[in-house]
Amino acid sequence: MTAPITWSFTLFRAAPAVALAVLVGPAVAHKDPVTPQLLNSYQQVFMEQVRKGDLLFHGDAATEEAMGVVLSKTGMACAMCHPMTADTHPATFPKFQAQMAKFATLRDMINWCIEKPNQGEKIADDSEAMKALEAYIYWSQSGTVLNPGKF
Amino acid sequence: MSELERDRHEIAAVLQQPGVRPDPSLRITRRTFVHKSCLVGAATVAETFAWWPLLNTLDVAYAAEAPFKFAWISDTHLYPKSLNTRFVEKTVRAAKEVQAMSPPADFLIFGGDLAQLGKVEELELGVEILKEINIRKVFIPGEHDWYLDMGKKWGELFGQPNWTFDHKGVRFVGLDTVSRGPDYWTAKKMSPEERMGHMATLDGTVAGPWAGVGRDQLDWLQKTLSNWDQNRPVVIFSHNPLYEYYPPWNFWVRDWREVNEVLKPYTKVTNIHGHTHQVLYNEIGTMRSIGMLATSWPWPYAPEGVPKLTKPMIRVDPGDHFDGVGWAKIDVNAQDKVEAEYVMWRKQVFAQSPDDYAKSIPEVLRARIADNIWPY
Repeated sequence: MTAPITWSFTLFRAAPAVALAVLVGPAVAHKDPVTPQLLNSYQQVFMEQVRKGDLLFHGDAATEEAMGVVLSKTGMACAMCHPMTADTHPATFPKFQAQMAKFATLRDMINWCIEKPNQGEKIADDSEAMKALEAYIYWSQSGTVLNPGKF
Repeated sequence: MSELERDRHEIAAVLQQPGVRPDPSLRITRRTFVHKSCLVGAATVAETFAWWPLLNTLDVAYAAEAPFKFAWISDTHLYPKSLNTRFVEKTVRAAKEVQAMSPPADFLIFGGDLAQLGKVEELELGVEILKEINIRKVFIPGEHDWYLDMGKKWGELFGQPNWTFDHKGVRFVGLDTVSRGPDYWTAKKMSPEERMGHMATLDGTVAGPWAGVGRDQLDWLQKTLSNWDQNRPVVIFSHNPLYEYYPPWNFWVRDWREVNEVLKPYTKVTNIHGHTHQVLYNEIGTMRSIGMLATSWPWPYAPEGVPKLTKPMIRVDPGDHFDGVGWAKIDVNAQDKVEAEYVMWRKQVFAQSPDDYAKSIPEVLRARIADNIWPY
């Protein structure tokens, strides 16, 4: 039964430091407090990716060219089967995906759609285009409840 | 409460008043409630699905003078052959199957969106493929046929976009629900291709609430029906559904209130529509409404507003481009019954369990943003 004594002792020794932190405030924190300007700039970075992803998802030729990807060769775009990203079910990944017969991520599924229905060219998992598509899909579905593994 | 919810409450208040239903002869009969999933499925499946109608055995008492069939094809969305052969293959298949119907259909109704981007070569490709069918053909336009040249080529090929004829005791009406979109292009100096591009994006935000019947056509409809006995059957073909299902995708006509005003006195109205690329059934006031499959690709059900009377179609395999699509035959038989049958090319038409229904995973979706920034 030594553990409680050890814990009590540790807390006792830490008490001055805790009191100091309360009194002094966040001056010793590891970073500056966030400001509305900073938050806005972070959000802008995110929304720029969402915007690019939206354009790619809707088959915008100029964006595809600028990002060096060929997402479709049939005239089909992602949004033609998934308006407003409907039925992409990003909140259910990772999961066993029957079409691929494997445990798959959303990125695997995006590439499967590019290669099969769209007959386009697969993109790298960590490519800018993949991150933008992922950003758009998650943003569009951000009110949907997470349900990983759901069929 | 969101704007959509407010609209939906309004549609219920205006159209679903106590005692107002389609004529009993138009309603789903008892036997349509008996479905395979109820007989062999688990109890929970039966509970979930038992009350959904089975569309392909809909019985409707029509005062038909003689039995007949007609066929529906729509939403072929043809690109030039050089770009997309899959859509061509599927249109060819539907045309061959309609032509092979035995006994033959009395006529084919093509329900709009023959072309994908309204190009002359796309529309002409459609005409070429449909030459396979040598019964009478009637056409209504879809938005994809129209907004490149504002219906010029479509009109040259198919004539007046709205029309009526009587056939064996049934009055048929074709409506144009696409050509009266608000002008979103002039102020922004869009090229015809840009105008068409926005119109061709189902979830776009630029083209706005383009689907509508229009006052002039409503007056025409009223006049057209005025000499028709209110208790005799009317079948109305339209590209868009004539009620409000999901306005952000123009799964509606914006003047559904006025349409309902015109149709209210008629007790046996069936609306058959395309555009939604999915199995749909609804009863709106005294009218019933049946949504048809596309041959090109299936749209997902909207995240909200799917009519409660719709028994949903099965979740589609995106790896099989013949799945979730097809055409339909409508059979008016010797007992004056009408059977509307979906001809889907794969598997079961209907979801057999809740997991077969894509919307068993609820979604909350945001509208797109990139097309709101102008210029890009």
